[in-house]
Amino acid sequence: MAPSCLFPGVMPLLLVLHWKHGAVSPLPVTSVNATCATRHPCHSTVMSQIRSQLAQLNGSANALFILYYTAQGEPFPNNLDKLCAPNVTDFPPFHANGTEKTKLVEMYRIIAYLGAFLGNITQDQKLLNPSALSLHSKLGTTADIMRGLLSNVHCRLCNKYHVAHVDVAYGPDTSGKDVFQKKKLGCQLLGKYKQVIGVLTQAF
Amino acid sequence: MAFFAVSQTAFLLAVLSWRISQSEVLVEHLPLTPESLTVSINSTLQHLHLQWTVHELPYQELQMVFQIEISRFETSKVIWMGNYSTTVKRNQVLHWSWKSELPLECATHFVRIKSTVEDARFPELRFSSNWSSWEEVHAHTPGHDIKLIFPRDKLVEEGSNVTFCYNAGINQNLSCYLDSELIHGEQLYSNIFTFKLNNVPFIREAGTNVYCAVNYALKDGTVLFVSKVLEEPKDFSCETQDFKTLNCTWDPGVDTGLVFDGQPPQHYTLFESFSGEKKFCEHNNQCSWEISPDLQETYNFTLTAENYLRKRSVSTIFNLTHRVHPKAPSSVHFKNIGATNATMTWKIPALGNYSTLLCQIELRDKENALQEHNVSIKVNGEFLFSELRPDTQYVVRIRCANAKHVWKWSQWVTQPLVTAEAVPSKALDVWRRVKSEKGLLHVTIFWKPLSKFHANGKILFYNIVTKQLDKKSELKFQSIPAPANGTELTLNQGSYQIQVTANNSVGTSLASEIVISRDSGNEEVEEEKINGTKDGFHMSWKPQSRGRTGYVVDWCEHQRNLHCDLQWKNLGPNNTSTVISSDAFKPGIRYNFRIYELSTEKIAYLIENRTGYIQELAPLDSPEVKALNLTSHSFTLSWKDYDTEAQRGFIQGYRVCLKSKATQCHLDAVEELLPDNSTCCKHDISNPKQKTFLVENLQPESFYEFFVSSYTSAGESPVGTFTKVMTQDEHSHMLMRIILPMVLCVLLIAVMCYWKSQWVKEKCYPDIPDPYKSSIFSLIKSKENPHLTIMNVKDCTPDAIEVVNKSEGTKTPFIGTGKTLTESEFPKPANFYLLPAQDSSVPGPCISFVNHTYRETACDSSSCAHTPVTDTALPCQLRLLASPDNLQKTLEKTHRDSQGEIPAGEISLNYVSQLASPVSGDKDSLLISSPVPVLCSEYKMQTVVPSCLDSTVLSDNGSLSSVTLLGQGKHYN
Repeated sequence: MAPSCLFPGVMPLLLVLHWKHGAVSPLPVTSVNATCATRHPCHSTVMSQIRSQLAQLNGSANALFILYYTAQGEPFPNNLDKLCAPNVTDFPPFHANGTEKTKLVEMYRIIAYLGAFLGNITQDQKLLNPSALSLHSKLGTTADIMRGLLSNVHCRLCNKYHVAHVDVAYGPDTSGKDVFQKKKLGCQLLGKYKQVIGVLTQAF
Repeated sequence: MAFFAVSQTAFLLAVLSWRISQSEVLVEHLPLTPESLTVSINSTLQHLHLQWTVHELPYQELQMVFQIEISRFETSKVIWMGNYSTTVKRNQVLHWSWKSELPLECATHFVRIKSTVEDARFPELRFSSNWSSWEEVHAHTPGHDIKLIFPRDKLVEEGSNVTFCYNAGINQNLSCYLDSELIHGEQLYSNIFTFKLNNVPFIREAGTNVYCAVNYALKDGTVLFVSKVLEEPKDFSCETQDFKTLNCTWDPGVDTGLVFDGQPPQHYTLFESFSGEKKFCEHNNQCSWEISPDLQETYNFTLTAENYLRKRSVSTIFNLTHRVHPKAPSSVHFKNIGATNATMTWKIPALGNYSTLLCQIELRDKENALQEHNVSIKVNGEFLFSELRPDTQYVVRIRCANAKHVWKWSQWVTQPLVTAEAVPSKALDVWRRVKSEKGLLHVTIFWKPLSKFHANGKILFYNIVTKQLDKKSELKFQSIPAPANGTELTLNQGSYQIQVTANNSVGTSLASEIVISRDSGNEEVEEEKINGTKDGFHMSWKPQSRGRTGYVVDWCEHQRNLHCDLQWKNLGPNNTSTVISSDAFKPGIRYNFRIYELSTEKIAYLIENRTGYIQELAPLDSPEVKALNLTSHSFTLSWKDYDTEAQRGFIQGYRVCLKSKATQCHLDAVEELLPDNSTCCKHDISNPKQKTFLVENLQPESFYEFFVSSYTSAGESPVGTFTKVMTQDEHSHMLMRIILPMVLCVLLIAVMCYWKSQWVKEKCYPDIPDPYKSSIFSLIKSKENPHLTIMNVKDCTPDAIEVVNKSEGTKTPFIGTGKTLTESEFPKPANFYLLPAQDSSVPGPCISFVNHTYRETACDSSSCAHTPVTDTALPCQLRLLASPDNLQKTLEKTHRDSQGEIPAGEISLNYVSQLASPVSGDKDSLLISSPVPVLCSEYKMQTVVPSCLDSTVLSDNGSLSSVTLLGQGKHYN
């Protein structure tokens, strides 16, 4: 894990809910003993909703991946193994054989990571490929579902497991990178996303 | 001690002096080597920026030349050498930049520098310094990613050259691509490869990927941004509308902006040199500049366009009063609008007291500018239009500009103007057509609508005043509402004066007058043919009278329509010819022209009548032809009802096309090939009035086909259906002459026979009495044998013949009337005779019957007489008759006797039957009074013998005998 690309920290879940596109800086660290509270009680079908959202993301991940690398032009479509390989070293881990609580916590980290990076990709692509409207739309839709998923996971963790805080790591900062590196990093992350969202869907 | 001190002082002074002089010499020969050389890198611009100083400059400033050497990879590999001349000031830090074609990240660069004083003021200082030490510089690659290809995110202009470098190992199979297109490269150094792109095109705003692969495995990539070349702003100008703000505009040309942070669109700045003010323009094609309150008179603007790669500038200098572009006039109105004049007022937004405005006014109709006026004003304007036409719609437009210096006119402001109506200025052009019918004149008055120019308003109605000239009567008024162009009048016989006027809302036009004479409508003039040309119908005529005021030619433009659309043309009294032309004239339509002469009394006299076609066409249809008088050698064709008036040209004749099996045509015909490749013999009839044609010299009992076409000067009517006809048999008429009378005769005879059938029957084949049904039997049966069917000779009682004298008067009625004896005046049956038959084959006496009806002819010839014949004499006589000679003799004798040897009337033979009752004269009484039984009875077959041979034969001895020819052995039971 490259230290410059990862900003570990403890982030209150409520703040995570207000995460926006392009939020790349770490949120303030709050007390570990902060009381877990949600504005509304979780719906009884929250796990079902989580599974449904995962399935939704899993169903669209490949299309998003294809749209992305197609919009970047050559050499991306023909060098996916080199440019879009899901070898993101600082990606939050996930253990499918863990308890539900553990899995929910790990999934929370992953979705937070992906959500933040998806915001950066969306912003970059609107500038780099202003005419790729379907890609922009797909990125926006995916980010929306992720926000809903994050909210449900938070609710579940808070209500059932009384987890008030989760350490969250953000994705790499693309602002200092050149255009080709941004394209490449986005493709790698989306490749990773496609891979990990399948694992998450299977795990729940 | 003193000496020591002095000498010490002197020594010190000497040393000091030497030192001073020595120091001056050293200063004059200092090398002025550049010092403090630092080299920095601008990776984006690929610039090496050098900075150095020259210490201990002997003068305040010196003109120096710096020699610079740049090496790449190694100090020994000098890639560039050059001089930099400048004036160096004491303690000045010198700067100089060098642009590298190769991205600076790809190689370490080394720089050294030395100086030379080349100042003409100080020729003694003309020498070069030593080289500075080599300064090494290497571009820093940001980030932690491994980057192999440079430059990153390079921005260049379209058409420029760009070099990429790739930092790779030795002997690697490297290939680089620009948007999938292979770029050829070369090895620059041990592990550095370069790829040069010349004249790069603009591909897309989002940049183009450049990437390299080693052994076909992608290693790294970058993005090349190619922008359009920044253009110089065009049409840069500034103007003011209110002396408060200057509006500067220009055409920016192409947008050089690229997406992402490749390059933003070019931006523009406006700099005014006199005031030294500068303004960043918010828009890329215009900028506003506030005019200072002190009204700077002259402005010098420089407009600069700039992007990452280039700057472009244009300048303009102007006097403010020469750049006045007034706003469009406002409050444009009309007042006092009359039929021929109107006043226009308008305002101009205030320009203060700085300018006088020149306003341009245009008066236009729908298409053309009619009036143009220039008016100078300050703020408010007013202009009087005159010489306008009544009831006319105009468009007035106005614009203004600075009167002293016209920079730009304001926008046009358009306002419609409609003038008031006036009295119609011209009398109507009137014409008439007259029909005289049943003692009345049907006059149709036509007039041409006044043109808008003469109507001076909307014509509302037409007034018609009719006045009878022959006798004093009241005027008859009639008002016809517009837009009528004619009316019909029914007048009694006489002369009339008719006046027509047009009226609009203001007044009435001058009256147009025509006079209808008593004879109008009854003129008859022979029609002459004329030929039309492309220009129309040329016609000329002869003047009829001296006191004429002009001529009128009228015609119907739509000749075949019910509404003929009467047209007329007025001509002066000296005109005796004219050309009538009209777009309505169509080829193939006959037009009739009437030429009238107008008298001084305004009476029109028909003088000539013309008819013709603007262009003749071939007839469309052919006459309907009937074949008449068909004989064996000829027939006649007739087409009486062919309407030549409706044809599309003057019918000049007809052509009869005759098809037959004959191979050759007659001398008066021409063989012609028909469209169906058959031929016909064509006879030409050049007289259009001839509507019959005799086809002769034909073969009897042959088929002929004929077709008659008409032709005009333009051609012949199309070939239609041929009519078939077959000539008659040559002898048929002869047969008719014979058979017909014979048939008539036969019919007559038949009728006669039918009518006289009874008479003929009685004469030629009277009814043969059945001997078995004879009344004799009734007499016999009743007396002796009721079962007797055949009379026996024995039963017969011979009758006696008595000869009595009889008067002549009793003989004739018997023959002529045909009445039975019982009905005549003979009281007793006299024509029966009973002959005792003595035949060898038939034993016994027989009674022979001879029907008296077979003897009528003989009796009629007055030769018949019933003579009693003895039994013995009969066979002899029969034999005699059987001999042909005897028979002939007998006949001759009988004939001779019948010619008069036996005088009728002198002696008459009366047959008296023994069965007959002497007292009864009728038949019934006879039957009742025959009681004698008969032993046998034989009926002799009756044969018709001409000239009474069967009945009466004269014997050789001159005695009369009655002979019955019997067939031997033939008996009827």
